[in-house]
Amino acid sequence: MAALHRPAIPAPRILGKPRAGKLLLVGAIALVVIAAGFQVNQFSRLTSTGYQINELNRQRAERQAENHALEAEVAQLSSLARVDWEARTRRHLEPAQQKLYIAVNHDVPDRQTLPTRFLPPEAPDAGQAGDPTWKRLLKSLPFF
Amino acid sequence: MFGQRGRMNGRLWALAAIFALGGVVLTARVAYVQLVDTEHYRAQAQNEHFGQQEVRAARGAILDRNGYPLATTVDAFDVFVNRADWQNLDDARKAAAIIAPLIGQKPDDLVNQVRNEDKGLYLAYAGLDFAKGASLHDADAPGLRVVQTTKRFYPEGDLASTLLGFVGRDHTGLTGVERDFDRELGGVPGTIYFERDSIGNRLSLGAERIGQQPDPGGNIRLTIDRYIQRLVEGELEAQIAKTGALGGSIVVMEPKTGALLAVASNPGFKLSHLDLNKPDQSLFRDRAVTDVYEPGSVFKTLTASMAIDLGLVTPESTYDDIGAAYIGPSTIRNWDFSVNGVTSVTQILQRSLNTGAVWMSGLIGADAFYSYVRKFGLGEPTHVGLGGEPDGLVRSNADPDWTEVDLATNSFGQGIAATPLQVITAIGSIANGGRLMRPYIVQEMDTPEGTRSFSPVVVRQVMSEQTAATVTDMMNQVVEGNPGHLAAIKGYHVAGKTGTTTGATLADGTVRNGNVASFIGFAPVNDPKMIVLVKLDFKEDRLGGQVSAPVFADLAPSILAYLGVKPDGPQLVATGP
Repeated sequence: MAALHRPAIPAPRILGKPRAGKLLLVGAIALVVIAAGFQVNQFSRLTSTGYQINELNRQRAERQAENHALEAEVAQLSSLARVDWEARTRRHLEPAQQKLYIAVNHDVPDRQTLPTRFLPPEAPDAGQAGDPTWKRLLKSLPFF
Repeated sequence: MFGQRGRMNGRLWALAAIFALGGVVLTARVAYVQLVDTEHYRAQAQNEHFGQQEVRAARGAILDRNGYPLATTVDAFDVFVNRADWQNLDDARKAAAIIAPLIGQKPDDLVNQVRNEDKGLYLAYAGLDFAKGASLHDADAPGLRVVQTTKRFYPEGDLASTLLGFVGRDHTGLTGVERDFDRELGGVPGTIYFERDSIGNRLSLGAERIGQQPDPGGNIRLTIDRYIQRLVEGELEAQIAKTGALGGSIVVMEPKTGALLAVASNPGFKLSHLDLNKPDQSLFRDRAVTDVYEPGSVFKTLTASMAIDLGLVTPESTYDDIGAAYIGPSTIRNWDFSVNGVTSVTQILQRSLNTGAVWMSGLIGADAFYSYVRKFGLGEPTHVGLGGEPDGLVRSNADPDWTEVDLATNSFGQGIAATPLQVITAIGSIANGGRLMRPYIVQEMDTPEGTRSFSPVVVRQVMSEQTAATVTDMMNQVVEGNPGHLAAIKGYHVAGKTGTTTGATLADGTVRNGNVASFIGFAPVNDPKMIVLVKLDFKEDRLGGQVSAPVFADLAPSILAYLGVKPDGPQLVATGP
């Protein structure tokens, strides 16, 4: 039996270039997907944060309104008409018929003015509240 | 498609060139839109997608001198109903059952009112309390729209109504301090942008951004003291009720600074019963600032000041009172037709003699007299800062129709007209060592540049300190030298003078031949802390000493005690440990 000498079929050559291209393509797609996912995530978080901000703003407005309403109520409760009414109806007081003046050796106490938002702003204590924490820490060091 | 050597032929090149050119044009256009004309297109897009709404700035508060709010702003809601949504009766009844109890209406009435017309928004309630409005905000009521707003709130009720004034529905000051200081109180409105749908309705979950933050209005701190104001208003009302007066004014001032502690006028209006639909505008003005009257015998103190300051008389100088003064064809008599014989200048004031005032004016002369009248600030506004302040009426010898009789009548306060504010300012100079102060009502004001404080302003030295002290003593004799004078008070030495004008036109011109009864006084004499002018208008003849002086006597001790002024009389003072 004769044997034919046939040249061996060469194994298919794996070309370097197309394989790299595919990898590159897959990588690019993955990158795009990741970037898109990241962006979607960011948008989602942005939307969520925006909603939270709106909600917090609304809550702040409500608290401010409640605060104003409370201040108004305090002002109304401390009004002279109400004090007079309370004195007459609950305490059964009447206007004095005779006034007696007594001199006492004591300073007149400071008047409490209400509400506080109508008071002039207090000057901040420079070097205390105004300084950042690191500066206050530095100042607390003995050699500084 | 491709040539033998894989090259594109000419037609493909042309196609590619067209595409490339198109790309370049598109890119250029995009660049133009995005980079060059950005703002125009951005604005167009925003107009398309975003609606714009003005956000009202919170109006500043009006405070009394101690910081207590007389008028302030609170948040509230305006409640609207969309009429179209209430055409369905079931929906309307369902919504009305929720809304009506909160706005104090019956549901059926509300439904009927809204369904009178079939479209548009119906304002069901303006300025609903914040808590109630907030509960409506999330209510499931068809057609309900609630819009957050603000409203004016008056913690002291109707106190100082005519002085404070009020704001309109658009929160613009219409009268009083609210109008005169509207720019400072009003602030600057802001802008809010909101996402809207194709027909312009706001998207409930749409984006919202603030274009410009509203800049809240500043607070204004007045010189008015709420305690004294309340005291004065109560006293004025009580005296009007007691005497049947048509109205009146009381002004309280610090003579050394010109700060107005209280300004009350009657008739006026009540902030709690303000009906802007049927406004009686005659009630809105502050008569103590806007209305003139003839001061009457109160003016004799000024005439005496002039004569003493010029060195023409002393308190002891005398003249012979024959009960009448003859000026050409005119005869001027004393108010009580009395004949007093030899009378001193002090007695002229004590007995309030017209003939004595005429005698002094003759000594002073017209030129000097009217020069002093101007120096006292009469005939020109006081520049207190409140609107509607007139010049007053002074006819001097420079005017063509002036006669000698004018000088004579002017000397006892007739034929000359001034506002209560002008009169108290002029006589306040006697209590302040001869220095005429500019009255002021605003003590402090918040402005964008910071807090602005107002200091007392000395307008001029009208007379010498010595003259002022002398006239003060004479005015003290008017009260304490007349036994039983109704302006005298226990514990304090008072200086004062009554004034009565007959034949006056009152109550907005409706009453002719009316009568103005007044009293002006200050205390304590040695160091005046307050000066009070009481003026009451009557249809019939009443004397200032009978109806106005007691008002001063009622007010003065309370005001002085409140101001911390120790009584002069030791009998009422017990010394503590």
